Amino acid sequence: MYGKMKNKELLVTINDLKDISELKRLGINNFVYPLQNFCVGIPNTFLISDIKEKGFIFINRVLDNNSILELEKILKNIPANIMGIIFDDLGVLELVKNLDIIKILYLNHFNTNIESIKIYMEYVDSVVVSSDITKNELEYIINKMPNKLTVMVLGYLQAMYSRRHLISNYQNYHKVKAKNPMKIVNDNNEFLVYENEFGTVLYHLPLYNGLELLDLPCQYYLIMNTFLSVKELANILKGKSDLSTDTGFLYQETIYKLKGDSDD
Amino acid sequence: MIELLAPAGDLERLKIALLYGADAVYIGGKDYSLRANTKNFTIEEIKLACEFAHKLNKKIYVTVNIVFHDQNLIGLEDYLKKLKELNVDAVIVSDIVGVKLALQNDLEVILSTQASTLNYKAIKFWQNMGVKRFVLAREATREDIIKIKKETNASLECFIHGAMCTAVSGKCVLSNYCTKRDSNRGGCAQICRWVFKTEDNPDFTLMSKDLNMVEYLEDMINIGVQSFKIEGRMRSVYYIATVIMCYRKIIDSILNKTITENEKEYFEKVLDRVANRDTTPQFFHKFPTENESYFADRTEVSNQDFLGIVLDYDKEKGLIELEQRNYFKVGDVVEFIGPNFDPFTYTISTILDENMTSIEVARHPKMKVFLPFSGAISPYSMMRIKLFDKKDVL
Repeated sequence: MYGKMKNKELLVTINDLKDISELKRLGINNFVYPLQNFCVGIPNTFLISDIKEKGFIFINRVLDNNSILELEKILKNIPANIMGIIFDDLGVLELVKNLDIIKILYLNHFNTNIESIKIYMEYVDSVVVSSDITKNELEYIINKMPNKLTVMVLGYLQAMYSRRHLISNYQNYHKVKAKNPMKIVNDNNEFLVYENEFGTVLYHLPLYNGLELLDLPCQYYLIMNTFLSVKELANILKGKSDLSTDTGFLYQETIYKLKGDSDD
Repeated sequence: MIELLAPAGDLERLKIALLYGADAVYIGGKDYSLRANTKNFTIEEIKLACEFAHKLNKKIYVTVNIVFHDQNLIGLEDYLKKLKELNVDAVIVSDIVGVKLALQNDLEVILSTQASTLNYKAIKFWQNMGVKRFVLAREATREDIIKIKKETNASLECFIHGAMCTAVSGKCVLSNYCTKRDSNRGGCAQICRWVFKTEDNPDFTLMSKDLNMVEYLEDMINIGVQSFKIEGRMRSVYYIATVIMCYRKIIDSILNKTITENEKEYFEKVLDRVANRDTTPQFFHKFPTENESYFADRTEVSNQDFLGIVLDYDKEKGLIELEQRNYFKVGDVVEFIGPNFDPFTYTISTILDENMTSIEVARHPKMKVFLPFSGAISPYSMMRIKLFDKKDVL
């Protein structure tokens, strides 16, 4: 796996600023900083002023009016070391259209077809292609726009994002102390639930390993490092990890219509 | 104009919704709609729906709101052209390719709640493309709505009644993982209603109570919401009739400035009765807490108030032709509701079967029976268990 990484533009999210030197030793040089007050599902986030290295800021919340205005203020004074922004709210497009930074749209669960991606590419430098589609579908899309798009290749995949405080509500109702993150299970379906003040995210378990997508001609390959240590990341990249992983939907097509649904 | 917007899963529901007071109805075609498992409308049925609605000077919106995979784009533009030919009043879309194609084909576009729009900058992005109306994210607060209206003057549509997603709409693929059904292509299996085990605590549930905005409807009108949307394309005709009738009367009373707290209380009681889950206002006025969610002890009530639907009325013979929907018998005191009259009480003295033979009990679903009646009553009126007298509440 290490060999495949060479000459690839990996974007890796940062959990702790102290991890950066170790990540550099792994050959990773593009860092993504989840921006404080603008992320859900991520325990460790950063103020712009915390970011000393070159890097991207990451925003994955659906933003209300107050938040978009707060973000506008931050972006007006964006420091030169911020190379780009990865975001999941179309309101941000309006804020960044005149900024000379790399704009990557990560509209989670959307961008599952090339035509939508082509339209968004009129506004941004790259689009993260959805992880909810098969490898064949990904290949089709990426080959239509070689070296332009971004795919997620490693990390816990979001299965659900709620504005509600699901763990707090659960604690309050049952009068128990719950872990955050906490693992929940129904038969073979396991999720990791994490809440912060902006909402709750359910991540699918086990960890998604789509490193085979490094073979596809993308602009960037995104590694969401949340809940992984640098050591665990290094072991995965070196192919030495014993962490349980799966390939998400790469080889598992989802059903559009159930059998028996009428087409007449 | 203030619009009451109803759901309909088929032609019967559509007619009921419009006759009971909806200004517009949203429906899904056989493809591209987020309720893939409901009956939905063929092209011919969409044509009939438009004809029926337009005769009443009302509107039809068609949902084309899946998140498209490449293979789903085949035929999309032809379908949109067909919808234009059929004179649908707008399409409800979430994926940008659908928005662009619809606009190119001169269709009005309503941006679906699936697009999770919660700020005015996002609205401006879509306005620049040509979108004029927006279904805001269900998480929109009163302040969000006011700011969006002020900054964009967009036509705003908000959900006011029915089931809520626990997730931000469009941001959930739990079904994809748990059932392989694609929630963003109409396969939502409502995983948020499942019960999950935890490592060392009580079972974990995610389920939200349903939405009910009666209390805040007047405020919503005053802050500029134009379209008031009822959730539930898979709901029964009785549910649709009751909910639409209640909200029609509430909206009219608000607009006429005759609304009273007692009247609201009455309609709340009727709405509670027809609901199968608890309802609350959710995000509009405060942040939802555990009180807006269900936990392990939730109950869902199967409502059996709906006794039958009027198929016809023979004035000469003085007989209502009724299709049975739930058990009733001679001696029951029931209530009729309908599009053009206030609910009235009726005591069942006689039930005649299709052979005009007197029977004591109507026990078979969809059986046709006849009930003596003198007066006037129209098809699509409904017979239900007598709930409570309005005068007892008011």
